[in-house]
Amino acid sequence: MNQRSVVTLTINGAVVEARAAASQTLLTVIRDQLLLTSAKRGCDQGACGACTVLADGRAVRSCLSLALDCDDKRIDTIEGLGEDPTMQTLQRAFISGGAFQCGFCTPGMLLAAFALLTNNPRPSEADVRYALSGNLCRCTGYKKIVEAVLGAARALPR
Amino acid sequence: MSKHGDFGIGKSAVQIEAQEKVSGAAQYIADLYRPNMLFGAVLQSPHAHARILNYDVSSALSMPGVRAIVTGDDLQEHWRIGAFIKDEHALAKGKVRYVGEAVAAVAAESEAKARAAAAAIEVRYEELPAVLSPETALASDAAVIHEKASEYIKVFDTGTSGNLCSRTSFREGNVDQGWRDSDLIFEARYETQPQAHVSLEPCGALAEMDANGRVSLWSANQSVFRVQANVCESLGMPMARLRCLTPRIGAGFGNKMEPHVQPIAVLLAMKAKRPVKLILSREQDFEMVRARHPFQIRFKTGVKRDGTLVAREVEVLVDGGAFADDSPGVLGYALLMSCGPYRIRHAYCHGRLAYTNKMRFGAFRGFGVPQVTFAGETQIDEIADALGLDPIEFRLKNLKREGDSWLGGQPIDSNGLAECLDRVRKASGWTGKRRLPNGENSRRALGVSCSAHISGLLSTGAIIRLLEDGTVLLNTGSVDIGQGSNTVLSQICAEALRIPLDRVSIASPDTDGSPYNWGTTASRVTYMTGTSVLRAAAEVEQKIKDHAAEILECAPADLELIPGGLVAVKGISHRNISFAAVSGRAHWAAGGPIIGSHSWVFDQKTIDPKRASVIGLPFPQIGGFVFNAIVADVEIDESTGKCRVNRAWSACDVGRAINPQMVEGQIEGAFVQGLGFALFEELVWNGAQIANPSLMDYKIPTFVEAPSELHAIIVESKDPRGPYGAKSVGEIGINGVAAAITNAVNTALDVRLRRLPLTPQRVLTVILERELTAEAARAQ
Amino acid sequence: MASIGIASSPALFRPRTLTEALELLATIPGARPLSGGASLVAMMNAGLIAPTTLVSLTRVAELSGLHVSPEGTISIGAATRHNAIATDGRLSGTTSVLSRAAAQIAGEAVRNMGTIGGAIAHADPGLDFPPALYVTDAMVGIASNSGRRYVSIREFFVDWYTTVLRPGEIVVVLEIPKPKPGVALYLKHARVAGDFAIASVALSLTRQGEVRVAIGGCGPAPLASPEADRILSSDMSVTSVRRAAEVLAELANPVDDVRGTADYRKLLIPRMLTRALQNGVAAARVAA
Repeated sequence: MNQRSVVTLTINGAVVEARAAASQTLLTVIRDQLLLTSAKRGCDQGACGACTVLADGRAVRSCLSLALDCDDKRIDTIEGLGEDPTMQTLQRAFISGGAFQCGFCTPGMLLAAFALLTNNPRPSEADVRYALSGNLCRCTGYKKIVEAVLGAARALPR
Repeated sequence: MSKHGDFGIGKSAVQIEAQEKVSGAAQYIADLYRPNMLFGAVLQSPHAHARILNYDVSSALSMPGVRAIVTGDDLQEHWRIGAFIKDEHALAKGKVRYVGEAVAAVAAESEAKARAAAAAIEVRYEELPAVLSPETALASDAAVIHEKASEYIKVFDTGTSGNLCSRTSFREGNVDQGWRDSDLIFEARYETQPQAHVSLEPCGALAEMDANGRVSLWSANQSVFRVQANVCESLGMPMARLRCLTPRIGAGFGNKMEPHVQPIAVLLAMKAKRPVKLILSREQDFEMVRARHPFQIRFKTGVKRDGTLVAREVEVLVDGGAFADDSPGVLGYALLMSCGPYRIRHAYCHGRLAYTNKMRFGAFRGFGVPQVTFAGETQIDEIADALGLDPIEFRLKNLKREGDSWLGGQPIDSNGLAECLDRVRKASGWTGKRRLPNGENSRRALGVSCSAHISGLLSTGAIIRLLEDGTVLLNTGSVDIGQGSNTVLSQICAEALRIPLDRVSIASPDTDGSPYNWGTTASRVTYMTGTSVLRAAAEVEQKIKDHAAEILECAPADLELIPGGLVAVKGISHRNISFAAVSGRAHWAAGGPIIGSHSWVFDQKTIDPKRASVIGLPFPQIGGFVFNAIVADVEIDESTGKCRVNRAWSACDVGRAINPQMVEGQIEGAFVQGLGFALFEELVWNGAQIANPSLMDYKIPTFVEAPSELHAIIVESKDPRGPYGAKSVGEIGINGVAAAITNAVNTALDVRLRRLPLTPQRVLTVILERELTAEAARAQ
Repeated sequence: MASIGIASSPALFRPRTLTEALELLATIPGARPLSGGASLVAMMNAGLIAPTTLVSLTRVAELSGLHVSPEGTISIGAATRHNAIATDGRLSGTTSVLSRAAAQIAGEAVRNMGTIGGAIAHADPGLDFPPALYVTDAMVGIASNSGRRYVSIREFFVDWYTTVLRPGEIVVVLEIPKPKPGVALYLKHARVAGDFAIASVALSLTRQGEVRVAIGGCGPAPLASPEADRILSSDMSVTSVRRAAEVLAELANPVDDVRGTADYRKLLIPRMLTRALQNGVAAARVAA
């Protein structure tokens, strides 16, 4: 009935074993089994961005990824990027810039911004809005987030 | 802006919870675990209106992992709740009244098992005619949704009858005389749509009963005290038996102020005798909880040719959905605010709220004011245009000024509205010509609006304890839903006691330990709870001085607090003693540990019976007025009808910005939420069913729709009552957004749009009408 | 309303070769192919479908990637991600319409996951690829364990959410004729960024003035007609554009939905066509 298979995932640089049924998403596994709760379930449809994680450095929706299909990628959640200088710069910019209120969208938002700055270290405002348009925020009106990302980009070494 | 205080006031202190939010460590309800926990799932009603004949839970109960099932049979008939009319049970009992209503719930070892079992519960219904609009609801032959309405406890004289849930009317002056005194009268009908809150965090709760039968309940909430009252009333529990706690909250906007699944989670936990966590899916959050009321508005305004407003009549018909919830309050409050911040001699504001077989509508930022402001402020522009007056000049001519009172006679303690209008006029470069240069395929214009809101309502308190080491624990019971109240209240406390912010800790709201706070709603926390913090701090200060006086051998009046947690003789700062030393004496030698507390209820009367008469007043004491002016630059793509807000300026008189960055955050966030309300957000019903209960089909603004330039302008009128002069900012920023945007579109296209949202389709329709009229004119 | 409450879970296969994948799809009843997951997993999460067997194509290397033949024709593997298409400079000239369409799909994360084959197999009328593929005269390569066939993209969509794919068949490649020098654009009208299109226009314009146009969002399949292309290729006067729009509007069969009514969509056709052509001509001038 509820067949669960073992899957070996590389999460935040560590190799971990999890058990998952085929229909279970990466979001479910990382939250419920690995207790990495930074990725949030906002809609389970891929529409809100709160579940965003990085797969091989690219932003993806963990709610649309089947856990058993993720063993060949390096998955990063925000818990694993705390020592990364780019992420730290972003976090500092978010904090000082008031770029979050309730904070529910923030992990996904930071990861999306991190993926952007990794690929495009000097984004324009339009680049930032476009790259982050898949991450919804209902609290801030987006302005301070844009400013924080642009500020972080400027603060990063050339 | 005023100079900031030494410690907190006026500083854009970062959120106390900042580190946990950026690191992903913040724990929201869905992130919490308790040992031996079960998962809950809800069965929803497929019918809009039906009697429940019986339940068959036998096959569901026998499914693997199922530990408890609850239905309306677990509830007693008189266990009813409701903020104004107690008309609702924890689960549907006897009847279902809307498609999607919670009918039964399951606790099982996994969420998947709980969902499967919920789907296996068989419920037999006898369908009843569904009433799907306020008009049909109020017709004499309509099926009655609440047959026992006359038995329901009501908090004020609602006038409930049949499907009429409540009615309210305010009268000031004599509008009939007003029409006679007017040179011109304008009258039109307006319509606004249901809007979904779409907090990023769906609703959820986790309940656990201990071996003594006491229950702990964590939930996504805007008030631990409303949760406590609602759960206990709905389950027949003494309130002292329920402890309500608060994780981090992923926003609310009104959706989490009154109950959602908390009673169900507690019911399951008590039956299963294990902790139960129940988190709604996004679809359920759309379908089961609440949304902003759709309004039908008839607005009539009489004016003199010289531009003086004489009279306004506002009549509204509001769809309340299946349960009263906050709706009678929304009706009453919207009417109270509907005439706008203008000097008007004669006003008659009245309306009715109908029960229908739809999901309940309830509190949503603005609480009815965005809807009536849309009507009132677009009519103001229509009048200005007809008189050949500039819309800002017209407003300035009629504006309530310093010393004026609100409809009903309540004094307005501070009024910065004229400055708000002035600031947005200057900042936007507003000239008499509101049309901006057309694009190749687009038209563009500026639009303005004014609005008001309140800051003071119901009760709150604060307790400040001086700990043994002289640091401070602040406990207020106010829930921080992301807006930053924890930080702001700590800033007030730090400022009052002249200590660094990091020596203040604020307790998490907990009904066991926190003083009562009605809730994080009505933009009230800074004004109400901030006042309590200030007064509690004053009590702490007095007690510190009393102790220090003994130690330093002087009179308490000779002492003052000096920065850094010290109390010293005035003018001789080296003769001082630390808070720690004082606290030590208090703890171990004399007087007892130092506690300061304050508790109050807002008691300024809404209505002066010599000024105005009112029937059906839900809020007899509400006030603390704040003001806003907005100018929006809107461009319309004439090939599709799609509108875009390019730039916006929103000035809010907040009294005093305790934390300017957070104040901006509220203004900016409210603007974009209002933009969605204005241009495309709509919860659509297909017959009895919500057609778009998902984020694929219900869209909120993204980074791209937000204006490229969004200017939050802070105006400080320094309220004499508010803490350090502060009033509020939570809701004022949304009230006038749709009106300003619509005024811009109306100007750009030379039309009068009276229905929200301004979808591309609606706008293209008026563009085509105009094109056809122009073509016909050319042909002649 | 959600919930088929999935208590039993599907079997998941992850073949490494196309042959293996096709064998599984042919022999296991009810087996569904899983590509990017954007549509399928979302529907599973919502309880709308409960497949008994999933065949993940994510490890089938030959399905991914964009290749250019010596003759200049372009093959896009069905499992190529939207973002790869959005940023591939080899989709130049008239074929750049594919990149422009890909860039406007959903959000960044979905563009990193969704695949062109998965998208067109799902056949949502609001999708961005179909009208762009029409304009490039793409051929859809379809494979099953009994062989391969090619269908013109203009024959691929047969009804609402329905394609010519038979059980056991999957899209394996999109074959795009050699790009012609010129410009292309994808004009999308949606409520918000990333939403499904209410209506859209895919347009290519060669240096010789040859026009190809297709309208999305106005029916189960994009609207396109050789006659409309011919009219616009000869001239773009107001009369011609109106005529071409009429030809296309006649093919329209839109629905009412929360994004707009059928009537509204029909109204958009001439207006968006005009706008697209204006933009196209302006782009051509800049490019020249």
